[in-house]
Amino acid sequence: MPVYIDISRCIGCRSCEVACQRVHGGSGHVNVHFVGDSASVPILCHHCEEASCTMACFSGALYKDGDKTVFDVEKCTGCGLCRLACPFGVVWTDKIAHKCDLCEGLAEVPTCVTTCPANALSTDFDLASRRARARAARVAAQGGRR
Amino acid sequence: MTKVLVPTVCPYCGAGCGFFISVEKERATGIEYMPDHPVSEGALCSKGNAALEVLCHQERFTSPLKRKGEGWARISWEEAIDLVAKGLGDAIKKNGPGSIAFLASSKCSNEENYLIEKLARLLGSPHVDNCARLCHAPSVVGLNRTLGAAGMTNPIPDIASSKCVFIIGSNLAENHPVISRWIHRAKDEGAVVIAADPRVTHTSWMADVFLQLKPGTDVALLNGMAHVIIKEGLVDRDYIAQRTRGFEELKESVGDYTPEKVAEITGVPAGDIVRAARAYAISPASSILYSMGITQHTTGTDNVQAVSDLALICGHLGKPGTGVMPLRGQNNVQGACDMGALAEFYPGYKKADDSETIRYFSSAWRTEGLPLGPGLTATQMIDAAGTGDIKGMYVVGEDPANSDPCSHNVHSALDNLDFLVVQDIFMTATAQLADVVLPGAVWAEKEGSYTNTERRVQWSCRAIDPPGAALSDLEIVCKVARSLGLDFYYPDAASVLAEINRTVPQYAGITRERLERDGLVWPCPTVDHPGTPILHSSGFKLAEGRACIVHVPYRPAAEVASWDYPFILTTGRVAVHHNAGSMTRRSPSLISREPDLYVEINTADAARLKVADGDEVTITTPRGETEAYARLTDKVKRGVVFMPFHFPGTNILTTDITDPEARIPEFKVAACKISRRD
Ligand code: SF4
Ligand code: SF4
Ligand code: SF4
Repeated sequence: MPVYIDISRCIGCRSCEVACQRVHGGSGHVNVHFVGDSASVPILCHHCEEASCTMACFSGALYKDGDKTVFDVEKCTGCGLCRLACPFGVVWTDKIAHKCDLCEGLAEVPTCVTTCPANALSTDFDLASRRARARAARVAAQGGRR
Repeated sequence: MTKVLVPTVCPYCGAGCGFFISVEKERATGIEYMPDHPVSEGALCSKGNAALEVLCHQERFTSPLKRKGEGWARISWEEAIDLVAKGLGDAIKKNGPGSIAFLASSKCSNEENYLIEKLARLLGSPHVDNCARLCHAPSVVGLNRTLGAAGMTNPIPDIASSKCVFIIGSNLAENHPVISRWIHRAKDEGAVVIAADPRVTHTSWMADVFLQLKPGTDVALLNGMAHVIIKEGLVDRDYIAQRTRGFEELKESVGDYTPEKVAEITGVPAGDIVRAARAYAISPASSILYSMGITQHTTGTDNVQAVSDLALICGHLGKPGTGVMPLRGQNNVQGACDMGALAEFYPGYKKADDSETIRYFSSAWRTEGLPLGPGLTATQMIDAAGTGDIKGMYVVGEDPANSDPCSHNVHSALDNLDFLVVQDIFMTATAQLADVVLPGAVWAEKEGSYTNTERRVQWSCRAIDPPGAALSDLEIVCKVARSLGLDFYYPDAASVLAEINRTVPQYAGITRERLERDGLVWPCPTVDHPGTPILHSSGFKLAEGRACIVHVPYRPAAEVASWDYPFILTTGRVAVHHNAGSMTRRSPSLISREPDLYVEINTADAARLKVADGDEVTITTPRGETEAYARLTDKVKRGVVFMPFHFPGTNILTTDITDPEARIPEFKVAACKISRRD
């Protein structure tokens, strides 16, 4: 259950970044990137099914727990292999590794999801497509957008 | 010690998002979201998330200060208040009460603003104003004339039920980010979104139709849209006949604003003008959202009137999903205006030049000799300080030396005062010029009500104490007033609100007891009134209940590009900063994301100037010059450059030419030149 992004809604306000940093003692796990003149894309951990970071982690600090990629700080040696392995650049190592923990133990819903002013983030995989289907249905029924 | 959650209202923009501050052992330890808040639904933008960073900031004032040589000396409250009483008192004695002026604060609560304007007027000075002058003064003048009320007509969540959202001169995605969620919701329900702005912005990212107009050509664009709507018969004839006056004159005056001609003036393709006009007019419920891009012009009042004309001829007012929505920039700029911290209005928008107003407040405040207005506006006060007509000023929570145009002149004008007292939380550029500095409190350190952009009055509770000897602004104003011999005995904000309930009819029913959680939207005339989220649903508070359609011809901006100054500079905000930046530039997680002043230059222009991305450049106008680094982009068209105004450099450049009626300076258009530094 990672956080899914609806890029059409993201307004690049960087609230997710600031909020993530705020609840994780200063080290955030979201980065908003700006592409071209107005697109903005928050980049965060996908909690990959076959997570390269866990495969690279020899100490077992990063591992799969159901559909989450979780992290055991006690076991981390700070070697940085995970950082090299992650294709999205969303696990960091400064002394020890840190990455998105879906705000486990901090909030019921990941903080970035609640705080996003534009409702661009959600934990519902199908939400963006459902919205698109609903729009399409409405357009079809109304004979075009007004 | 247990954790307590204290409900507060965000201190930054006018959206009025709520959040809880968790307090442990009398320290603010974190923010908790408020999912059932009517506007924000738990969301906060980056500024809201970083709000606690200013609370225990090491640069906060912790004691009153007086100027000592080149530096400052910490002094006691007794000494500070004596100095203020003497400074203001002497000016009054020598030159009369008209020689002192007050700037109230759109960051402070309603109660505090009410007391500041009351203090000014009881002392006999008509000169009290607030920084609304620099943002929505044209809305106050223009909308009062056309619609009979200056506020946002519909609440923010109501935007979701709009079928066409027309955003002009507002980059709300960065300035009021939470409003975006309501626009997305409208889009989900099939709404068309139109955005008009000189820049490609995150707001235009949400739009279906984007009109990239040249700065200062808004009236032409709006007239062009009115032209199309009238010509194609898309007006609401019944609405025009029953609810308005002035349509024939408008029809006549927009007759020659053909899309082709308007395209030439604005740079917007004629086809897009027609598309936007049709979309706005045809939809069953259309709303217009606007902001500083409309108001901060020498034609600000005209722009506002042209906006409301469009709504009136299409009948898009008074119903869900419709409306004219001036988005207010500060957390309580609406409230500061409602409370009469304006040169031309006493509380409740009672005209300051009307003897009936003076009679009303003389009896309400049990006094005599209240000054007839209008007083000097915020911009005029500075001029008057420069010429020596104003001798003493009391500035609360504002930073004119940084936020006003042509800031070099503002510095020397304020320097010219005999006495300047500044009440603030940080050493701002204005405080640097003060004789006495009084340490105030931020939102979390005091209680009071705040009115957001949709006229929703919300109560914000005190979470912690102000640092050191700092006091709530309400306590300070009362101390100053008492030292000047006035009878200001208000134990708390609730007691001031009780007086506001008696003197401001729009707030009569907004009592402390009723201000839980969702707040109340004024006008709320009685204690059992539910508030009025949608204005003008049964006519207008103007003669015969009719709105006025005011036709306005297009006038070019005061400055145009010339051989010497070939670029048009326009200014605005970015998501991670707020206004003059005295708070956000001190907030680590915000300043780290946007640390320096930059200027956006079109790539083709930059190539001609031999400027590369990141180069240091000098921007020059007749007022002065500023350094910034270049950001090359196609967000701005050729010939236009953009700078955010959160850094002191920007307003060195802007012009102090103002709108003739609303007296707002034209922050959005200044002719400038650019050169690479080396
Ligand atoms: S850190 Fe990278 S590799 Fe690991 S789960 Fe997240 S996105 Fe996948
Ligand atoms: S908070 Fe939402 S809108 Fe803002 S940058 Fe993050 S994902 Fe985008
Ligand atoms: S949108 Fe405005 S009120 Fe809401 S959190 Fe951001 S600055 Fe505060």
